[in-house]
Amino acid sequence: MTIAIDTWIQVAAFTGGGLAMGFGAIGAAIGEGFTASEASIAISRNPKISGDIFKSMLVGQAIAESAAIFALVVAMILLFTDFTGQSVLTISVLMAAGLSMGLGAIGSGIGSGFPAGEACAGMSRQPAMSGQLTTNMLIGSAVCQTPAIFSLVVSFILIYSNFSGQPVSPTWAAILGAGFAAGFGAIGSGLGGGLVAQTSCEGIARQPTSAGTVTNIMLLGQAVTQTTAIYGLLIAFILLFKGFAPTESLGAAMALLGAGLCMGLGAIGPGIGEGATARSAVRWIARNKEATAELTRIMLVGQAVSESTGIYSLVVALILIFVI
Amino acid sequence: MEDLGQIHQLIVPLFGHELTFNLEPIIQTWIVIIGLLVFGYLATRRKGIIPGRIQAIGEFFIDQFYGLTEDALDKELSRKYAPMITALFIFLLFCNWLGVLPHLGEPTSDLNTTLSMGIMGFVISHYAGIKKKGLKTYLKGYCEPLFFMMPLNIIGELAKVISISFRLFGNIMGGDIIVIVVTYLVFSLVLPPFLTAFFFIFIGAIQAFVFTMLTLVYIAVQVN
Repeated sequence: MTIAIDTWIQVAAFTGGGLAMGFGAIGAAIGEGFTASEASIAISRNPKISGDIFKSMLVGQAIAESAAIFALVVAMILLFTDFTGQSVLTISVLMAAGLSMGLGAIGSGIGSGFPAGEACAGMSRQPAMSGQLTTNMLIGSAVCQTPAIFSLVVSFILIYSNFSGQPVSPTWAAILGAGFAAGFGAIGSGLGGGLVAQTSCEGIARQPTSAGTVTNIMLLGQAVTQTTAIYGLLIAFILLFKGFAPTESLGAAMALLGAGLCMGLGAIGPGIGEGATARSAVRWIARNKEATAELTRIMLVGQAVSESTGIYSLVVALILIFVI
Repeated sequence: MEDLGQIHQLIVPLFGHELTFNLEPIIQTWIVIIGLLVFGYLATRRKGIIPGRIQAIGEFFIDQFYGLTEDALDKELSRKYAPMITALFIFLLFCNWLGVLPHLGEPTSDLNTTLSMGIMGFVISHYAGIKKKGLKTYLKGYCEPLFFMMPLNIIGELAKVISISFRLFGNIMGGDIIVIVVTYLVFSLVLPPFLTAFFFIFIGAIQAFVFTMLTLVYIAVQVN
């Protein structure tokens, strides 16, 4: 039997590596493409500073790529580490690690392409603001990566934790659920955070005097946008570390898998929606700085309402874990 | 690699229960507190119209955060809460930067630190809300838009504590784990200093600021 388990562990490691890099490649590529297309438009508008725009494009693309590089690291670890001889649970651990990182990299990759592209466009309009725009873009894109970092953390915890003391059923389902919660949960927030950072770059280019305010409100909007990704991380942690009583029933196992899927999928919409709310708020704060307090309040209330569906998912996931 | 996820704990039995202390975060937090006290002493030792170097840094923090608090709250309240907001930021900043020093980690990579900061912000914001609006209006706020939404509104409020503390914790601990794993993978060559600079100094500063701003906003939402 041990040979059979080892074979399955290898299968899981290869599949996990493939999933991690395959899904992980989607987002960054789209984001970088968006950046390059905006940079081309910007250069044609203002060819005199093509050097600056080109540099800014490369820096922005490098940051957008980091989500894919996280996925590459996880895929490499899965492919080249020898996992054989471990418990049956390793099969589900490796799949979950790959899924978590692969899915988690999609949103952040696309998202951090937006501010980079808009920064290039802004530089062509307002060359004097290049420095400020680049700083703002760096901050915005770095915060966009947070959901991908959460997925990476869950992947690493999965790979390097020792689950051998846990009962196989239902822990295998809890582990897969954790992968789904962290992976799917990061998509919406990553993308939404990018939308916010995009308009902050646009705003600074349009109205340089509002730069400080815009950056502050951008950080606030992005932070609230990430809330649902944090719920995903929370559910993943609960699923990984709670420790479940052994059970033969498939129902109990499916409840844990369902909890992960529920939180992960439920976090996508609110993430994008909250990003859209903050995007418009930041865009108009730049044009009408006097209305900052009012706009910030509306933004926070709108985000709270849009987040309520994420909270429903959180409640259902917690019920699935603790009640059923 | 082996020390990943290992925690030194002191377990004290007390009347049949066990009190668990995570030793490292406690020591690190005290190092930060002592560092801040020294910083405060040096910044105010020779006060002058023309500030010295350390006084200028202190004035910069005070200036920025008093301004931000005034933007979010009204004049009277901001005088009351600005010192807390400034102190919170400086504390979290020093906490997040402590990991740069060898043999030290960030107290904020322990959930207990961030959760206690989050609960502190939660209590303060609700205290401010009750004091400003009165208990009746405050409780009425939970029954909006309809009274049966109350449980969800309460969960929403509690979720704020979870999200604010897990955001800081996840970012700082994530940075830690990434630096450890990548350092191990590249045999400590070339990459680690850059990763440390990015995750500890840059992300640490941003997350300290985000945490502070969110606490401020939570107070502002309760008050208005």
